[in-house]
Amino acid sequence: MFSFNALLSLASIGLNGTNLELLYLSVLLGIIAIILFYFYFRLVPAKEYLQEQAEDAGYERTNEYVRDKLSDKPRELSWKIFLYDDSKSIGLRYLFTSILFLFIAGSFGVLMRVSLTEPNPTIIGAAQYNVLMTEHATLMIYMFALGAALGLGFYLLPSHLKLKKDTMGVYSSIAYWVWLAGGIFILISRAALRWYFYPPLSLELTQSGGGEFAWLAVLGLELVFIGLMIASVVIIKIIAFDRSPDIKLNQMSLFSWSILFTVIMAISSAPPLMVGLGMLFYDYFNPIFFITGTNTLLFTILFWFWGHPIVYMAIIPFFGLIYEIIPKFTGTKIYSYNSGVWGLGLLLILSELVWGHHLLNSGLGIAWITFFTTMSFLVVIPSAITVFNFIGTLWTAKSIRTTVPMLFVLNGIVDFIIGGITGVMQSFAPFNEQVHGTYWVTGHFHFIFIGITMGISFAAFYMLFPTFTGGRKYNVSLARWHFALTAGGSYLMAFAWSVGGFLGMPRAVAGYFGFFQGYQDASIIGGVIIGIGQLIFLYNIATSWLKAPSTSSDNAFEEENTGVSKTPSPAGGK
Amino acid sequence: MNDKTKKEFIWIVAVLVVLIGSAIGNVIYISMHSQNFAQNVNAHPTYPSNADIVHVEGTQWSWTFVYSNGTTTTNVLNVTVGKPVVLVVTSIKGAEQFAVIHDLSIPKLAIQVYAIPGQNNSLSFTPTVIGSFYFECVEYCGLDHYEMRGYLNVVA
Repeated sequence: MFSFNALLSLASIGLNGTNLELLYLSVLLGIIAIILFYFYFRLVPAKEYLQEQAEDAGYERTNEYVRDKLSDKPRELSWKIFLYDDSKSIGLRYLFTSILFLFIAGSFGVLMRVSLTEPNPTIIGAAQYNVLMTEHATLMIYMFALGAALGLGFYLLPSHLKLKKDTMGVYSSIAYWVWLAGGIFILISRAALRWYFYPPLSLELTQSGGGEFAWLAVLGLELVFIGLMIASVVIIKIIAFDRSPDIKLNQMSLFSWSILFTVIMAISSAPPLMVGLGMLFYDYFNPIFFITGTNTLLFTILFWFWGHPIVYMAIIPFFGLIYEIIPKFTGTKIYSYNSGVWGLGLLLILSELVWGHHLLNSGLGIAWITFFTTMSFLVVIPSAITVFNFIGTLWTAKSIRTTVPMLFVLNGIVDFIIGGITGVMQSFAPFNEQVHGTYWVTGHFHFIFIGITMGISFAAFYMLFPTFTGGRKYNVSLARWHFALTAGGSYLMAFAWSVGGFLGMPRAVAGYFGFFQGYQDASIIGGVIIGIGQLIFLYNIATSWLKAPSTSSDNAFEEENTGVSKTPSPAGGK
Repeated sequence: MNDKTKKEFIWIVAVLVVLIGSAIGNVIYISMHSQNFAQNVNAHPTYPSNADIVHVEGTQWSWTFVYSNGTTTTNVLNVTVGKPVVLVVTSIKGAEQFAVIHDLSIPKLAIQVYAIPGQNNSLSFTPTVIGSFYFECVEYCGLDHYEMRGYLNVVA
């Protein structure tokens, strides 16, 4: 017969015995959460309001109503997005949650920088530094980058695909809550694992190992994946079955393509790590996979099979957005639609074949080193095609309006070129041996993530700001300062890292050799400048929101699919 | 072929030439220097027969070097200039709960090899310059990961 106490005592073995009260508490909280979720999904009165709206709009099946407008008025942002489960509301939920996590994880990043003022940890201890490092990386990737990508997908796809119905809103809503719960679990777990979660360390449930509650981070990551999988299936279904029959597949906007490739990538590469995390969690109770198993490298391989595609998933949707933003401010068409689709599609295929380049020095063998380094050169081809497509579009444009979103786009392209070149250099096996695990790598991906993921998110946010707020304008000069500080700070920080890393400055350390002081100091200044830039952004948003509406609240991304915009964007600011 | 397609064709070919050229150069280098890359073996046919074999044990949080004459050093690796060295690297359990993954990196000599519990990774190199070069663990391995560092001393 099933015995709950026996299960708990089994669990307590892996949890050091001291956490039994915590376990009881979490079971209790879980039951309360399930009851609340029942009321949330079945009994929320807002649903009835939406159904009345749908009946007014002449929908026969009221649950399929796509709520672009409420009572024929442009919808203003309110807390009710957490009660409605249409695609737009889900998108806003993801978007604003991702911005919240950007600021949480970003402040962790600034704290890490500041704690490195001295070669030996002084302001923040090594234990705290390791926690900050883990949280910064994990939350940025899973909560900010993925959240912004999914949010913009849910928010913009109904417009781009002229959606008439959306039958799976409840599933999207569940996906959002599961994903958010995962993020909160990771945040409160205080795990110190890096975002790799490599097992023998992640199984050490001590503050000097992976952190006492590292298992909570493993659980949280699994929840993030479950949410991601549900959301990906819903998005594929929206693109494949729900889009307007007028829009053929080869006329779909490049942003829709990029979201489609992103979710296919998620579904095709996450399952190995989901299984790996399950095995890892089982190891807390009965260590049979990664400790007494023959090869501790197994988990690293499961991890990187997912770990490399995720970094592409964090930029492909933003490439799609660049393809949407450039035509708005240059009045020209994208240079080559086919190159755009093929570039992004090839990235999907090739990026699944390069994961071994993260483990080149782990004893994979010469044959695999040769394979993965060669594939790493090939994966640059679609990236280069995409960048040339951007450049071709800008080149053929008659004029470029350097509005704030366009500045972010231009800076993103330059950042991606620098980050891409410093990235492909690592494909040289001997060079990889020198710089793997140094700040060179950190510089490489911060160029790309700050330039593309964060920069283009801000560009999209600025363009959508009038839509979110019912026609309010942001302060353009403050937004320009935000851009200048973000871009300038990121160049200073990432260049200092790249040069220091080239000379062998190791990353992921709470202290360093004294002769690296100069590079660390430069990157600290850069990091603090970025932080000040984001404070200006917050101030700008807060003060602009308090003003009266003064412009149209039309969605700047809505006008056409791939062509020229008819009217200048209301979010242009000029 | 219109003008636009021609330009696209040119940039795709240019990218292909640069990248495939780089990839071929990389493959040639790897095949000529395979002894410099970490491999999951104790000894490899390409290793010089007169090499000093040094067993390296990564633990939380220090590096221990065991030389062929039986002596041991911690966080200091002493080698002779011009004499080939074979590093056999593994990870062992220290005061903490388990043996975990480490990564020994000597950036100035472009040497890097993972220390993995239950696995011996090895590589060979020949120091050519007298001097002192820092090394460090570059795979995060717990609280005092940053203190897992030291110097490679190349003496005459």
